[in-house]
Amino acid sequence: MRVLAARVVIVVALLVVWELAARAWNPLLAVPPSVVPPALIDLLMLRSYPDLPRHLLVTVREIAVAYVLAVAAGLGCGFALGLYRTLGRVYAPILAALYAVPAVVWYPSLMLFFGLDSASKIAFGFLLGFFPITLAVLAGIRQVSGGLLTVARAFGAGPVTTFRLVMVPSMLFTLVGGLRAGLALTVIGVIVGEVLGSKAGVGALINHAYGLLRTTDYVALVLVTLALVVTSDALASVVERRARRWAE
Amino acid sequence: MPSPAWSSAGRGGGRNDGAARAQRRLVKRARIVGLQLVSILVALVAWEVAARGGWVDPLFVPAPSAVVAAFGRIGAAALRALGDTLVKAGIAYGIAVVLGVGAGLALGSARRLRDVLNPFVIGVYGIPKILVLPWIVLLLGFGAAPAIVYGTIQAFFPILLIVMGSVRDVDATLLTVARSYGARPWQLYWKVILPAIVPAVLAGMRLGIVFCLLGVLIVEMFAGVRGMGYVMGSLANGFRAAELFAVTGLVSAASIAIVLTLDVLNDRLAHWRG
Repeated sequence: MRVLAARVVIVVALLVVWELAARAWNPLLAVPPSVVPPALIDLLMLRSYPDLPRHLLVTVREIAVAYVLAVAAGLGCGFALGLYRTLGRVYAPILAALYAVPAVVWYPSLMLFFGLDSASKIAFGFLLGFFPITLAVLAGIRQVSGGLLTVARAFGAGPVTTFRLVMVPSMLFTLVGGLRAGLALTVIGVIVGEVLGSKAGVGALINHAYGLLRTTDYVALVLVTLALVVTSDALASVVERRARRWAE
Repeated sequence: MPSPAWSSAGRGGGRNDGAARAQRRLVKRARIVGLQLVSILVALVAWEVAARGGWVDPLFVPAPSAVVAAFGRIGAAALRALGDTLVKAGIAYGIAVVLGVGAGLALGSARRLRDVLNPFVIGVYGIPKILVLPWIVLLLGFGAAPAIVYGTIQAFFPILLIVMGSVRDVDATLLTVARSYGARPWQLYWKVILPAIVPAVLAGMRLGIVFCLLGVLIVEMFAGVRGMGYVMGSLANGFRAAELFAVTGLVSAASIAIVLTLDVLNDRLAHWRG
C-alpha cells in the first residue's frame, strides 16, 4: 500500500514539475502534460489526422507479415541448426557473430533494395524478430534431456512421435519466450523502419508531426503507438501463459 | 596402477590419452572453421556469378568485386565517418556504464527503492526508444549531443537491469557473515558486492555496447550531419549500392571486432578469477 502511494506520488510530482518547467521554458518543445489529453482526443476523434485508421492498419499489417515470416524462418533455421549437429557447429557461430552487429546497420541496404514502401519495413521487422526466435529454438533444443530421447527411442517412438511428445513439451518454455521476444522486436523493427523513412504507417505520421513542429500531435501519436505496442505484448503474454500451462 | 583395457586400446601404444583427445578436438575445430570459410567463399562466388550473369540487378545487388572496388574509392572517408561514430558511441557507452552500474547498485541493494521503482524501470525499458527520438532531436538539435544521449539511453537500461538483478541475488550468507564480522557499509560494497557482480557487469557491458552503437547509428540516420549512419543513409538515398554495401561491411566488421574483444577480455578475467 505504501509502495503504491510512493509510486503515485512520484508520477504526480514528475507531471507537476514537467508542467511547470515546460510552461516556464518552452511550451512548444517541452510539451506540458496538460496539453496532451486534448490533443489525444483530437487524434482519436480523427480531427488532427483523419486518416489515422488507415496508417494504423498499414503498420499492423507490416507487423503481422513480418512476424509470420520471422516465426517461419526462425523455427526452420533453429531446428535445422539444432537437430543437425554439423550444420549447427558450422553456422551457429556465424549467426551469433551477425547478432553482434547492431541491426540498424542493415536498414539502409533494405531500404535501397525494397524501396520506401511496406516491403522494407517488413524486411527489417523480420530481421529483428528472426534472431531471438532462432536462438530460442537452439537454446530449447539444448534443454531437451538426452535421457528422455533415449527412453523414447528405446520404447520404439519414431522421429515424429519423439518430436511431438518429448522435444516440443520440454523446449516449449524457452520457445514461447523467444516467440514473445521476437514479436516485441518485430514491432520495434517495423516502427524504426517507418520513422527512418516511409510514406505510410504510424511512423510516417510521427515523422510528419515532428517535421511540422506539431509537438502535441506528436506526443498523442506516440501514445497511440505505445498502445499498439502494449496490446501486442499483452496478446503475446496471454498466449505464452497458455502454452506454459499446457506444457506443465 | 594398471590402466583399464578400454582406455588406451586401439589408440597405438604409449600415446598420452589427453594429448590424443586434444588433437582430435583441434582437428574437429579446424574442420569446422574450414567448412565456415568454404561456405562463405561459396556464397561470395555465387553472389558474384549471379551479379555478373545478370540474375540480380547490379543497381541493387552489386557483385562482391564491385563492393571491394567501391571500398577503395570511399575507404578513407568511410573510416573517418566510422571514427566519428565510434567516438560518440564511446562517450555514450562510458556514461551508460557508469550510470547503469551506479543505478543498478542503488536499486539492487535498497529493497524499498527497488519495490517502488521497479515497474517504472520495466515500463521505460519496454518502451520502444525510437518513439522519443524525434523529441530528443527537437530538444538537442542536429549535433553530436542527441546521438550521445540516445546511445546512452539505449545502453543504460540493459546494463541497469542486469546489474540490479545480480546485486539483488548476491549470496545473503556472505553479507551476513561480513556484517557479523563488523564490516562497514562501504566494505560490504567494496569487498563483497562488487567482486560478486563483476560477471554481471561484464555481461551488461557486452550487451550495452551493441545497443550503444545501434542508438548512435539510428540518430545519425534520422538526423545526422556526420558519422557512419549519415553516410549510410545518404548512400542509400543516392542509390550507390556498392558503396553502401562496402560501408555496411565495414561497420559490421568493426562491431563484431569490438564484441569479440570484450569476449576475450571477459574470458581472461574469468580465468584470472578462477
